[in-house]
Amino acid sequence: MRAVFVVVLALSLVVLLPEAAWACPVCFDSSDENRQAFIATTVFLSLLPLGMVAGAGLYVRKRSRDLTDESSNSESLD
Amino acid sequence: MPAKRPAKREPVIPNGVLGMMIFIFTEIMFFSGLISAHTIVKSQAAGQMWPPYGQPRLPIEETALNSLALLVSGMVLVFTWFAFKRDPGQARIPLLLSIILGSIFVGFQGAEWAALLADGLTMQSSSYGGFFYLIVGSHAVHAVGALLALLWTYDRLNKDELRSSQLATVSAFWYFVVLVWPILYWQVYL
Repeated sequence: MRAVFVVVLALSLVVLLPEAAWACPVCFDSSDENRQAFIATTVFLSLLPLGMVAGAGLYVRKRSRDLTDESSNSESLD
Repeated sequence: MPAKRPAKREPVIPNGVLGMMIFIFTEIMFFSGLISAHTIVKSQAAGQMWPPYGQPRLPIEETALNSLALLVSGMVLVFTWFAFKRDPGQARIPLLLSIILGSIFVGFQGAEWAALLADGLTMQSSSYGGFFYLIVGSHAVHAVGALLALLWTYDRLNKDELRSSQLATVSAFWYFVVLVWPILYWQVYL
């Protein structure tokens, strides 16, 4: 219930008070380029590790399936 | 009757390659952090002027040619892998060529640094200079480390002691050095 309240409050801030929602304690100026750079790098640095871990997981799963297929094929030939 | 032992299964990824993959993941995050910091500082430049007024310009064309040497070195290393799979003896020349091309890249970068220092671009001259030496210098340290690893690989190949997992591990590191460079070039030089 509390989580829903926080989400509704955050969404209300974005919709009703966009300037307050964009307020950033570490942004040094409010220029558009600067804001865009902060948003882009935040998205990039948040998604990159998730993408790498997901990619590695998918690769390991594929390799594991390939090896299982190979070993079952060689057993059936024996 | 003795219990039948299960057949030993090949590891999904060789241990060396797995270790190198984890190391490369951390390196990707390291360079991403540097690129992000560079992007933000660039966006805050006074009057959106980047490079800042009074700072020397980077040699874009010469470095593009030098980047080509690095990219070709990476491609030659792919051929080295296939040659090694066919016959390890055939991998000697492409591996040596890859090392030579990589050395040309590092050597040219060193000469470029000397020229830029003489022109007044230093770590202290501006955030532009600071980021240039930090990002390109970090890449150079990785390139030198990877070249030393390739030389070790070449030595083992000459002694007929090189295993395919060792070549794959060192190659993965060199591919990282090669593939991260165009991104750094685009961010820092262009």
